[in-house]
Amino acid sequence: MLNWANFSSQLFNGLVSGALLALISAGLTIIYGTLGVLNLAHGALFMLGGYAGFVAFQETDSFVVAVIAGAVFVGIVGIVLERTIVRFFYDRPDEDQILVTFGLGIVLVELVRFGFGSLSQSISPPAWAAGVTSLGFMLYPTYRLLVFAIVAAALGGLYLLLYRTRLGLVVRAGIEDATMVDALGINVQRTFMTVFGIGAMAAGFAGIINAPIISITPNVGDDILIECFVVVVIGGVGSFPGAIVGGLVAGEIMSLTSMIDPSYSAVMLFAAMALVLALRPQGLFGTR
Amino acid sequence: MRVPARRLGNGWLAELILGLVLILAPFLLPSIGATADMLSRILIWGLFGIGFDLLFGYTGLLSFGQSAFYGSGGFIAAYLLVSHKIGNVFLGLAVGTAGAAAIAFVVGLLALRRTGIYFAMITVAFAEMFFFLENSPLSAITGGENGLPNVPNPEIGIGSFDLVIHSPWQMYAMMAVVFFLGYLLARRIVASPFGHVLTAIRDNPGRASAVGHAIQRYKLAVFVIAAAYSGLAGGLEGVLQGYMAPDAFTFDTSGQLVMQSIIGGSGSLIGPLIGASVWLYLRAILQSAAGLGPAWKLVLGLVFVLLIVFLRRGIVGGVSDLIGGWRRPLSDTPADAFNRSSVQVEMAEGGRGERDRSADAPRTKVLEARGVSKRYGGLVANADISFSVNEGEIRGIIGPNGAGKSTFFKMLSGEIPPTTGSMFLFGVDITGRGVTAVCQLGLSKSYQINQLFPKLTVRQNLSVSALSRTRGKFRLDLIRPMSRVPDLAKDIDETMHLLGLTERADTPVSELAYGEKRRVEIGLALATDPKILLLDEPLAGMSPQERAATVRLLKEIARHRTLVVVEHDMDALFGMADRITVFYQGRILAEGTPAEIQGNADVQEAYLGGVHAA
Amino acid sequence: MGTDLNKGGLTRRAALLRGASLAGGAILPIGLPTWAFAADYPPLGNFPEGVAGSTVFVGIDVPLTGTYADAGADEQKGIELAIEHLNGGNDLIKKISPKTTKGVLGKEVKSGAADEQAKANVAVQNATQFITDKKAMVVIGSVSSATAVALNHLAQDKKVIYLPGISGSNDTTGKDCTRYSFRACHYAYSASAAIAPVLLKALGKDRKAAYLTPDYTYGHTVYDSMTKFTEAAGWKTITNQLAPLGAPDYSALLLNIANSGADVLVNIGFGNDAVNSIKQAKQFGLLDKMTLVMPYLSPFLAKQVGADLMAGVYGTTEFWWTYGEKDATAKQFADAFKAKYGYNPEWGAHAGYLQIALWARAVETAGTFYPPEVIKAYENGEHIKDSTLGEVWWRPQDHQLVRPVFVVKGKKQADMKGPDDYYDIVEVVPGEGIMQAPDAFGCKLGEAT
Repeated sequence: MLNWANFSSQLFNGLVSGALLALISAGLTIIYGTLGVLNLAHGALFMLGGYAGFVAFQETDSFVVAVIAGAVFVGIVGIVLERTIVRFFYDRPDEDQILVTFGLGIVLVELVRFGFGSLSQSISPPAWAAGVTSLGFMLYPTYRLLVFAIVAAALGGLYLLLYRTRLGLVVRAGIEDATMVDALGINVQRTFMTVFGIGAMAAGFAGIINAPIISITPNVGDDILIECFVVVVIGGVGSFPGAIVGGLVAGEIMSLTSMIDPSYSAVMLFAAMALVLALRPQGLFGTR
Repeated sequence: MRVPARRLGNGWLAELILGLVLILAPFLLPSIGATADMLSRILIWGLFGIGFDLLFGYTGLLSFGQSAFYGSGGFIAAYLLVSHKIGNVFLGLAVGTAGAAAIAFVVGLLALRRTGIYFAMITVAFAEMFFFLENSPLSAITGGENGLPNVPNPEIGIGSFDLVIHSPWQMYAMMAVVFFLGYLLARRIVASPFGHVLTAIRDNPGRASAVGHAIQRYKLAVFVIAAAYSGLAGGLEGVLQGYMAPDAFTFDTSGQLVMQSIIGGSGSLIGPLIGASVWLYLRAILQSAAGLGPAWKLVLGLVFVLLIVFLRRGIVGGVSDLIGGWRRPLSDTPADAFNRSSVQVEMAEGGRGERDRSADAPRTKVLEARGVSKRYGGLVANADISFSVNEGEIRGIIGPNGAGKSTFFKMLSGEIPPTTGSMFLFGVDITGRGVTAVCQLGLSKSYQINQLFPKLTVRQNLSVSALSRTRGKFRLDLIRPMSRVPDLAKDIDETMHLLGLTERADTPVSELAYGEKRRVEIGLALATDPKILLLDEPLAGMSPQERAATVRLLKEIARHRTLVVVEHDMDALFGMADRITVFYQGRILAEGTPAEIQGNADVQEAYLGGVHAA
Repeated sequence: MGTDLNKGGLTRRAALLRGASLAGGAILPIGLPTWAFAADYPPLGNFPEGVAGSTVFVGIDVPLTGTYADAGADEQKGIELAIEHLNGGNDLIKKISPKTTKGVLGKEVKSGAADEQAKANVAVQNATQFITDKKAMVVIGSVSSATAVALNHLAQDKKVIYLPGISGSNDTTGKDCTRYSFRACHYAYSASAAIAPVLLKALGKDRKAAYLTPDYTYGHTVYDSMTKFTEAAGWKTITNQLAPLGAPDYSALLLNIANSGADVLVNIGFGNDAVNSIKQAKQFGLLDKMTLVMPYLSPFLAKQVGADLMAGVYGTTEFWWTYGEKDATAKQFADAFKAKYGYNPEWGAHAGYLQIALWARAVETAGTFYPPEVIKAYENGEHIKDSTLGEVWWRPQDHQLVRPVFVVKGKKQADMKGPDDYYDIVEVVPGEGIMQAPDAFGCKLGEAT
């Protein structure tokens, strides 16, 4: 449906869904950039955020509590996974890291299925964010606007953390040269644990923020993980700005393709990735 | 203490055992609850897994997107058969297999541009793209989410004998035959020179390419082969159930394949079959008998994680470690046997005397750099270097740390291109042609830090290099046994003798002592039979005795070759080299005979003085 | 299991010569012909092996995980209730199958269920397991047409009767019909034909419709049938938004619809897709501007999205439990189900129950389990006067049950009398008038032997 009103609304919509994708991908890419581990359990952590929030919401009926609970719980799970399993894999080949996180992802998904069943669960958006808001050129769900604002704030927070703090300095130095960071005598162990926790938290946070839009099932993270792969391949693995730009690009591609023919939206996303690979294999912001 | 699982069962033993198991399975396994249908499916997964194992277990390429080829092969075959464009089921399967391979060729060109995690992610994404293509845009052909029903049964007609394969056990028999043939072929591939290069790529892709193998072409070839196995397996699934399901394209398919292969043990060809047996059998048992319902997958997921953490090489690896543990002979070669070896001493001493050392005799320039510079951003590593080496010469290169020796060496060997200037090897311009081409032209480099193939034995390590000489940078000799490569064994034996490593021939290099590893490092460069050998600090980290022995070795090697040696051990180098080039701050400071360099005031001031003071 | 071994070996040695052996022998998976039990009929499928003892096995093949898990579990309950009624000689089942005493032809009915994970592949795997391992005489169950279509063909191949549970695609008894499969539930064409006149009456003839269609066969056939009936009466189809399979986010499609100028939203989504798309349509404010129509309601939809979103929504269903207020047999079913499982049955449970009852009737009529005779009994055209749906009968040409379709309308929360009281039955449209010609969708049944 090609007309100006629709084009502008789709453009905006792509921005909103892209922002969420950017946040999840940022978590994935920070972990990879710092620890050198591609975390295939990231989709499962996203899912876990939704469920943790769902439980908290059932108990307290407060959406804010649910969001905090979802993010914190998944952050803790991330730290526990890092301490108990992932850290033993830093010295093992890339492939082993991929395999172990893949396995952990399956275990998390199946544990949730064991506990909650396969039925979809849902959380209502808070009453004050229900309904629609007029943006002039279109009506848009208030909650999605809120999501956009929250995600933008979260990404801003991550940016400050990475570019304005000592931890961020270590993380970014680690992305450039991990051995140098070692040599500087920084407590790498603790940094790694923190980074894994933050990356997991980003996924869990996105999971609970997303829950009022998409009802949660144990498999809700599967597709998200693959979309994140595309995002980081486009943006450049390990690059924080790459994840954000990649996420927005992915969101726009899917939204704008849907305007013309939705059945091609996913295909176009992967075609874009193939194009980037052919022209700039290291990704838009990648260095290696 | 790891024995490569590949060595389990020498000769035809593995094939024999597999054949027996396949024949006996229908008689023994139903008593523990396995059905014909289950066994047929296990064989299909096993066949699918053989291809994956060639890709991952042997070449080290972890693909999470094999479903793309499984589905493509399956749907191409099913479509052609269901629409009656092809009548013969076996022909349909063959076309499906070829189709999957062709698709893999295109996907591989893109996906193989990256390695490691990138490769894994890209394969996932491509597979997902195929899933969406199958479901919507191509649904007119593929049946979309309904898949393709009515895939016909295979028929074998020989003369008046006409058999329609239909009953579950007949299907099993057919799958068993196809699997067996697939296994035979894969065994030939891994035992071929081609397969040997694959394992080298897995262990150390950089070095495999440095000793003259065009690894991208090998990777693409094995990617296509793996896809052909996938496509055939997909087609067989359609034939088995008379129905091609779109689930073939899902991420679950790829994930299950990976998990089965790891559980069974990768790098063994048979591991995926064992993994599939465990998976399908446990799925049935846990679901029905144990009454776990959907929790079956949780149990298998936990098993998978535990295996990755504790027993990375899966069931097959665990078993072969057990067997290897008590079968392994305790070889004990004194580390300094090489250093005391009189044979080499005699050879080296004698050899050196015959060599024409006259610096005045006219010689051809075999290696030349003209006005070469290398810049990294604002940092100048090498500036305007002109340098040449004559045939038969031993050239030493010295200079303080950071003088630009290593960068220059990397440019000589083709590992990095110069920013400006040109390189010539035997008069041929090699600027920017890459390390593989340079090696194929007859120049090879030994590295300052060992770049070996750690899981391979000494003999296998040296074979990797020797193969590039006899076979060129790429050759698709999939079914030729290594033993049929002309002169390979003899050359390797000679090289090992020269290196004093004959006793260690069948020891994985990861288990060697440091000095031995250094010799393998030199051997890897030497076994490509280069006319010019670059040696980057060959004596680094060696004891005085080892140094002396290695110097003798280098002199022996130099009898028929041109040598360029970077070394910090001045005494050793000055005693060996015909001429010395001194690097300082990215430029050539001086060049001349050892005596001239020792007398050069600039050099003394800039470099030697400092060293002697230290 | 030691015997299997010998049988297996024997079958493989006895390589089948085409045409030289009875076709029946060809598909007998394993086993010696036990003529003693079947003097009248040759072995075929699992006959006579599957009924050699005092029991007969029914394989229940439903999704228990994945998107359709809830509908699958409900369906399984209906099937198991029917089996319990058969074995107990319950009155309800005797109404539908008057010759039934206890069990089927005196044999106790056993059953087993397997999770098909909403994957056609796994469904086929499970069914094969039931047929070869358990010697099932019937396989029943589906929540998606992909599964039903796959099992249709498997049944024909294995010569074992298959009964789809939930399957809305026209193809199931259209181009993918087989001799061994019988569908009892309503489907795209009959649902659309039933709801269209109600919509035209309630909403008027001058409406602009936007469609949200899942991009697979079920979705396409419902779309085709709906546009055919509504456009003929004057509705305009403004846009058709195809949703890729399993897409969780509908925002881009909903924006297209929001900007299309439509005033009716026809949502063909099923299962989780329906839940997500309705909720998101609400968030985008679409439901305030447009009337929502769900031409093929999935079980538990109202429960999952909540009554406030479903109020005023028109849809069709295979069965709705409040029909019991008008029909004693329907009431008997709904009450029995609620007594056993604690909630009023959804339509998957009903379809499952009805399928088992109708199968028992066919077998009792045939007097044998020999599949071709059972199929003949199915095809005899006899009207079943007193089912849970009133009068129904099988169409011999395409094995589709001629049956009424329920057009319902969502109730407001305030009007609900109980937790499951989501819909008002607007009309129960008789089956005869809402079906296509038997060959219109390309059905060719194939051979019984």
